[in-house]
Amino acid sequence: MKTTKVMMFLLIGLLVLSGVSAAAEPVNITVATGAVGQELEISREAAARYMELNPNVKITVLDTPDMVQDRLGLYLQFFEAKSPEVDVYQVDVIWPGDLAEHFVDLYEYGAKEVAEQHFPEIVENNTVDGKLVAIPWFTDAGLLYYRTDLLSEYGLEPPTTWEELETAAKKVQAGERAKGNEDFWGYVWQGNAYEGLTCDALEWLASNDGGSIIEFDGTISVNNPRAVEILEQAAGWVGTISPPGVIGFAEEDARAMFQGGNALFMRNWPYCYSLGNGPDSAIAGKFDVSPLPAGASGKGAATLGGWQLSVSKYSKNPEVAADVALFFASYEEQKARAIQASMNPTIMSLYQDPEVLKASPFMGSLYDVFINAVARPSTVSAPRYNEVSTLFFNAVHSVLTKKSTAADALEELELDLQDLTGLQAR
Amino acid sequence: MERQARSRRPSLAEREERLAYLLLLPTFLVILLIAIYPLGKVFHSSLTNQRFASGEQVEFVGLGNYKILLGLTIKELPPTIDEQTGKPERNPETNQIEYVRPIQVLPRQPVRYRELGQFSLLGKRYVIGASDRDFILAIGNTLVFTIASVFLETVLGLIIALVMNSKFKLRGAMRAVMLIPWAIPTVVSARMWQWMLAPTRVGIINVLLQKLEIGNGQIPFLRTDAWALPAIIAVDVWKTTPFMALLLLAGLQLIPQDIYEAAEVDGAGKVRQFWSITMLLLKPTLAVALIFRTLDALRVFDVFQVLLAQTRYSMATYNYYQLIGNREMGLSSAIGVIIFLFIFVFATMYIRLLGVESDE
Amino acid sequence: MNRTLRNVVSTGLFWVILAIIFVYLVFPFYWAINSSLKTEAQLQMTPATMVPVHPNRGTLAPTLANYRAVLGNLTFARGLANSLIVAVSVTVISLVLGAFAGFAIGKLRFRGKTVSMYLILAMTMFPQVTVLAGLYAVITQFNLSAVPGMILSYLIFTLPFTAWVLSSFFRGLPSSLMQAAQVDGATPFQTFSKILLPLTTPALVTTGLLSFIAAWNEYLFALTFTSIEPSARTVPVVISLFTGEIARQEPFGEIMAATVLVTLPLIILVLIFQNQIIAGLTAGAVKG
Repeated sequence: MKTTKVMMFLLIGLLVLSGVSAAAEPVNITVATGAVGQELEISREAAARYMELNPNVKITVLDTPDMVQDRLGLYLQFFEAKSPEVDVYQVDVIWPGDLAEHFVDLYEYGAKEVAEQHFPEIVENNTVDGKLVAIPWFTDAGLLYYRTDLLSEYGLEPPTTWEELETAAKKVQAGERAKGNEDFWGYVWQGNAYEGLTCDALEWLASNDGGSIIEFDGTISVNNPRAVEILEQAAGWVGTISPPGVIGFAEEDARAMFQGGNALFMRNWPYCYSLGNGPDSAIAGKFDVSPLPAGASGKGAATLGGWQLSVSKYSKNPEVAADVALFFASYEEQKARAIQASMNPTIMSLYQDPEVLKASPFMGSLYDVFINAVARPSTVSAPRYNEVSTLFFNAVHSVLTKKSTAADALEELELDLQDLTGLQAR
Repeated sequence: MERQARSRRPSLAEREERLAYLLLLPTFLVILLIAIYPLGKVFHSSLTNQRFASGEQVEFVGLGNYKILLGLTIKELPPTIDEQTGKPERNPETNQIEYVRPIQVLPRQPVRYRELGQFSLLGKRYVIGASDRDFILAIGNTLVFTIASVFLETVLGLIIALVMNSKFKLRGAMRAVMLIPWAIPTVVSARMWQWMLAPTRVGIINVLLQKLEIGNGQIPFLRTDAWALPAIIAVDVWKTTPFMALLLLAGLQLIPQDIYEAAEVDGAGKVRQFWSITMLLLKPTLAVALIFRTLDALRVFDVFQVLLAQTRYSMATYNYYQLIGNREMGLSSAIGVIIFLFIFVFATMYIRLLGVESDE
Repeated sequence: MNRTLRNVVSTGLFWVILAIIFVYLVFPFYWAINSSLKTEAQLQMTPATMVPVHPNRGTLAPTLANYRAVLGNLTFARGLANSLIVAVSVTVISLVLGAFAGFAIGKLRFRGKTVSMYLILAMTMFPQVTVLAGLYAVITQFNLSAVPGMILSYLIFTLPFTAWVLSSFFRGLPSSLMQAAQVDGATPFQTFSKILLPLTTPALVTTGLLSFIAAWNEYLFALTFTSIEPSARTVPVVISLFTGEIARQEPFGEIMAATVLVTLPLIILVLIFQNQIIAGLTAGAVKG
């Protein structure tokens, strides 16, 4: 009887000593992540694993709007109110510069050791004034999807240059139409006036050695002959190898055409891979992915997409929150995401992990694409990236719709960017 | 009788007045809280450079935002001069005089003016520049949208109301059917139409037009200048004609049937009856319906936001874009105030024309 | 002979016009139903088919998968509940306050009546997007959560409208009713609540229904105010933010199924009340 009481006291004492938190209130951490079915599910599982290891922490996963712009709007409202309600934010690759003032420096919370495992381009993108405001979580990059069955039927190879892509597209398009499919097109991509066009057009520019709009050192480089050349070339696709409606296409419109079997090539993100091989798809097993083609004077390039995790400056428990963020972005967790949902890891060594490669074979072969992905000039133009991007995609859109020549549009864009950012042109 | 009541209880008028104020109080409190106070806030921030969710210092900029939004200028475009001959250059194909590009004559400091359009007058060429081209275009889009959609809705609404006002089998069912478009949330119906207007043959409109030999089934309605506004107007007309028809139908039912019978006896034809009875007596209803629709159309948001996104703005979507997209709270507040003034002007105009009865 | 022929022609013409109107008004909704019964592969077929057919065999093949997905979606159910709470509260509050104000303006004599009328009329024309930022500040100031925030802010477009319509309705009621009641010793408020209010039932039904539909369909405020609180989203926002299993995927069939499901209750409401709506408008709004 007595011993049990003593034991109890001892136990309680141990508990109190072992962690203030165990006896005290549990620490509540809220993570705002993607709302999408599978993505949300995996985040919840990761949270459960963390809570198992740290029973004193309770993680709530808050689902946020899927539309990128809506999600940003939501975050802004939290920041406007300096709300401690959300501790960890899932952040788009173009936001760190813009939102840096609301996030803690993760280098001060133990990210020093892990940062170098990640793709350097992303780490650089997430570093603002020497502070790591976001830890890379998973990445995205533009890919070229192509129909393996059609290419071999017409005796063609996957294109490595835009030139080759045009030739192949024309040939197959003419052939398929002659066979009776009048809805068939050579190449579909994202030509609507929105952020997606910024991604596509940045790839064109970079693939032709035409710079990345605003360089890391802050010079505005967009008005150059190679950029003009490639934009004119792309404008030539509209209505010839790409449907006239491509100027209104977003990711899902392109996927609908490609997956419906009505396009030979498609530029899109990795998410189409698993959907294209789904049971409902007309092209399951009939397509593959490769790096995007190169221009006349350059090599193929992909725009960097993807998501990071940031810890709010207004969090009540920044240490715990940072620990959760780093846990979510750790090797094991990224591996789980890669295997379950083919989300591309940002940790380089995972691209050699046999289990990951077994689940998504393209990750191995396209490692170069992901590591060389080109970042949009979001950090250097912060906090005005959204306006920079809007000006850029509107300029490109005016070229695609033939309202303006590429030379005029880029000259005007250069002036606009100077006025907006105060940066200098090359 | 009234006088009697008053003389017996002299405080009745006062009591009535007190009761009136008491009954109006909650409504005015609500209006104060959710309309006037926020409007005051918006007006105040329209005079600053405030940014949404930012720690940057807020500065008072006076009417700066309004100047940027409404800044217009007209500059003469000189012809380009051939350096060798000293004469104006001519286009080798058309033999038209070539002019310098607008970008070279439009002012750049302190704000840049963009080309809005060009025109020729008395043998000289001019360019119109706007310091916020998108907003000026948004005003234009909104006005065209408002005029066209309200006109079409009125005509169609009147036809539908006339049909629904006659007696026929299934009238009850048809009247309910008539209200379907109106019952669908605007944002959802916009998505529905976006799908129907798809730029390939997954879109039913393209399929149907191709059957009628218009286009080749690949018309990008929402991204072609010639089609975009008409498409938006069509969507809005579909959505709001029922409301118009409903109001007009109510108006038609107010017209006593015996007037028509009397006219019949007098030998007036159907057409004459329509113009001199129906239209005449429907006028007040028509006017009210017009006010509602015009003011609603001026603040159009959902259809533009879903269907045209950032390719063409209405005043309201431009406001939203500046607030949420660019976080320019000051500028977007100024846009809000301008929309408010627009609507205010239209509203006073209408109220003047109609004369609201106030029995005072 | 001639006369009957003319009758036949005009009747025929009438039914043709009726048929055109019917197709014009109903076809887009039919298209939503049609799309909601298609799988993703069927939605991607070109040219689009008038009914869901099997992509390869060409036989009729509608699917209920989209409806199953939507009905099994908790977010959607929650959205319906939120919409219902918000729309009902807004309707009740604007009817009560609007009837007070409408009675005061329509039947009572007091100084400042014209100003009050103009103010209320001006509010019916208030652009919502103008006050979005300011209203958001008010809601955060009062620390309101999203649902009460929406209820309060929707009054901006329902209350002035209700008050205005009801005021012209009250004005139309014969003054002798009120005077008779006053002679009998009733206070003005008793006259209002016991005698005049019951007479306004048709107008109450109409304005109530209009308020309900306006609140049910509202998007801009709901999108902004609930973004911080996803559990409070109303149906239009839920539908517009519908997502697939994978980021960026847009489950169009499900969106259309949800559209059909949300619209049905309103169609039923309209079916039940359509006579009252017209009666209410006849007596009220149209008088200006």
